[in-house]
Amino acid sequence: MEPIVMLFAWMLIIAFLAFIACMFEDLESDIGSQSNPNSQIQLAPEMGYIHRYFNKAISGEGLSYALSCTISGTIAMLILLQLESVGPTAALLAIPVGAAVGSLVHMVRSSVCHVGREAAHKRFEQPIYLDVLYGHLLPIATHNFLAVICITAIAYIQSNLGILSGVAGASNPFPLPLLCLIWGLTVGAIGSSTGDIHYGTERAFQDKPFGEGRRVVYHGQICRYGACGTRTSKDVAAFCAKYGGPATGLAFGLIVLFENWRTVIGMTLGGVAGPGWNPSLAAAWGIGIGIVIAVVLVILARTIEKWARNKYGPFVGE
Amino acid sequence: MIETLLLVLVCIIIGGLLSSLAVHLMPVGGAPAAMATATGIATGCVMLMTGAAVTGLFTASTVASFWVTKPNVILVALSGAVGSMLMIGFTMFVGNLIYIFGAGIVPCSGRVAVDPITKDSQTEYKTPRTDGHGVPTASFVSGILGGFSGGFGGALIYVVLVSDSYAHFSVATAGIVAMGIFIANAIIAAYNIGGTIEGFHDPKFKARIRTGLTCSLIVSVLCGVIIVIAMLTGTLAGGVM
Repeated sequence: MEPIVMLFAWMLIIAFLAFIACMFEDLESDIGSQSNPNSQIQLAPEMGYIHRYFNKAISGEGLSYALSCTISGTIAMLILLQLESVGPTAALLAIPVGAAVGSLVHMVRSSVCHVGREAAHKRFEQPIYLDVLYGHLLPIATHNFLAVICITAIAYIQSNLGILSGVAGASNPFPLPLLCLIWGLTVGAIGSSTGDIHYGTERAFQDKPFGEGRRVVYHGQICRYGACGTRTSKDVAAFCAKYGGPATGLAFGLIVLFENWRTVIGMTLGGVAGPGWNPSLAAAWGIGIGIVIAVVLVILARTIEKWARNKYGPFVGE
Repeated sequence: MIETLLLVLVCIIIGGLLSSLAVHLMPVGGAPAAMATATGIATGCVMLMTGAAVTGLFTASTVASFWVTKPNVILVALSGAVGSMLMIGFTMFVGNLIYIFGAGIVPCSGRVAVDPITKDSQTEYKTPRTDGHGVPTASFVSGILGGFSGGFGGALIYVVLVSDSYAHFSVATAGIVAMGIFIANAIIAAYNIGGTIEGFHDPKFKARIRTGLTCSLIVSVLCGVIIVIAMLTGTLAGGVM
C-alpha cells in the first residue's frame, strides 16, 4: 500500500483512539466527581444535603491525567528499551503494563482524596460510607485505564509514525513520555471543559427546572435520589454516557483528527518524501487549512446559537 | 553571539506576553460554568490554556521537524497558533452543543447587554441570579483569538529554543522549557483575572489587561535571562533529555 495511504490510515486510528480516550476520561471524572462539579459535592453537606457521591478532586483533570499518562508513558518506554531485541511487538506488553501502573497510582490517589475530603466533612455530619469507597474504586481504575491506554497508544503511534507508515519524517520528534504528558494535559482540559457541563448542569441538579442556568441559590442542593433508591456517582456515569461522555470524546477526536489531517494534507501538497519536498509550502498549506477550519467553526457556532435563541426563546419565569 | 542571545530574549518576552494576552482573551467560566451559572468554558484559565498551548506545541514540533536544520520560525509559530486555535474552537463548540442540546440552555453573556459582534440582545435570555451561561459569539471569537495568540507565543518560544540558529536545545528540553514559561505566564494571568472572564468585551478585560501584561513582562524577562544564562554556560546545549 502507498505510504501516504498508510499515513492517513494511522491518522484515523489515532483519531478513533482519541475519541475513546476522552469519552472514558470524562466518564471517569463523573464517577469520581472530579473537577468543576466537585464544588457542588463538596458544598452539599454544608447545606445539609448528606449524600452518597464519591468525592475526589485530586487536582484539575488536566494535571491529574497528565500525571497518569506520563507514568504510563515512562513505564512503557522503559519496558520498550528493555525489550528492544524483541522488536515492535514489545509494545503489546509495554503499553498495557504502563497504563495499568498509571491507573493503579490514580486509584490510590482517588481513595486517599475521597477519605480525606469526607473526613473533613465530619463537622457537617457527613459519614464516610465504606461501600461507596470500595464500590467506586474499581470503576474509577477501569475507566482511567481505558483512557490512559488509548493515550499511551496514541503517543506510541505518533512517535513511531515514520516507521509504521513508511513516510520518512512523519514521526513526532518528542519522546514517548512527553507526548503522553501533552495528550494527558489536553484530554483532561477537554474533559473538564465539556463533559462536566452535562454532569454539573443537568445530572447534579436533575430535580431543578430544565432549560435554565443553575442559580446561585441552588448551589449545594444536589439531587441525591435516583429512580430507585439513593443515587451514587456510578449512576452519574450511566446517565452521562448517553450524551456528555460521547460528546466530550467527539471534541478530542475531532481536534486530533483535524490537527493531524491538516498536517498530513500539507505534507502531501508540499511533496512528501519526494525530491520536490518543500517544507515551507507544506507548513503554509497546513496553516491555511487550519484557518479555514477555524472560520467554519465560528460560523457553525453562530448558527447553533441562533437556532437555540429562536427555538427556546427568551427566559420565561421568575 | 550577542545578537543571538538578544533575539532569544526578545522572542521569549514576546512569547510570554502573547501567552498572558491569550489567557485574558479566553472566555473562562471556571467551576460555575459547569453548572451554567457563568458564561464561558467550564474550566480554569491555566488548565484550559495549557491544554490548548500543548496541542499547538505538538503541531509546532511536527512542523519544525520538516526542516533538517534551521526551521522557519514564523511558519512553525503560526502552525502552533492554528493548532491551539482549533483545540479551543472545538472545545467551545462541543461545550455549546452540551449546553444547548444536553441542558436546553441558550448561550448568553452575563456582563454585557448586547453582543458586540452580532448585536443580539443578551439580557432577556439570561437566567436570573446567574452570571450568564454558554459561550455566545463574542466570547467564541475572543476564545479563537486567544487560542491563536497563546499558541503563537508557546510555539515561538519552542522554535527559538530548538532551532540550530538560536538556543539549539534538544526537542524534549525545548518542549519542557516552552511549556514551563507558558504555564508561569498563564498562572500569573489567572491570578490577575481572579475568577471568571468572558473575553475582550468583558469590562474586566480592559480593567486588568495592563496589570497582567506588566506582570507577564517581568516573569518573561526573568525566564529569558535564565535561558540566556543556560545558553552562555552551555548547561542545556544539546539537551539534558
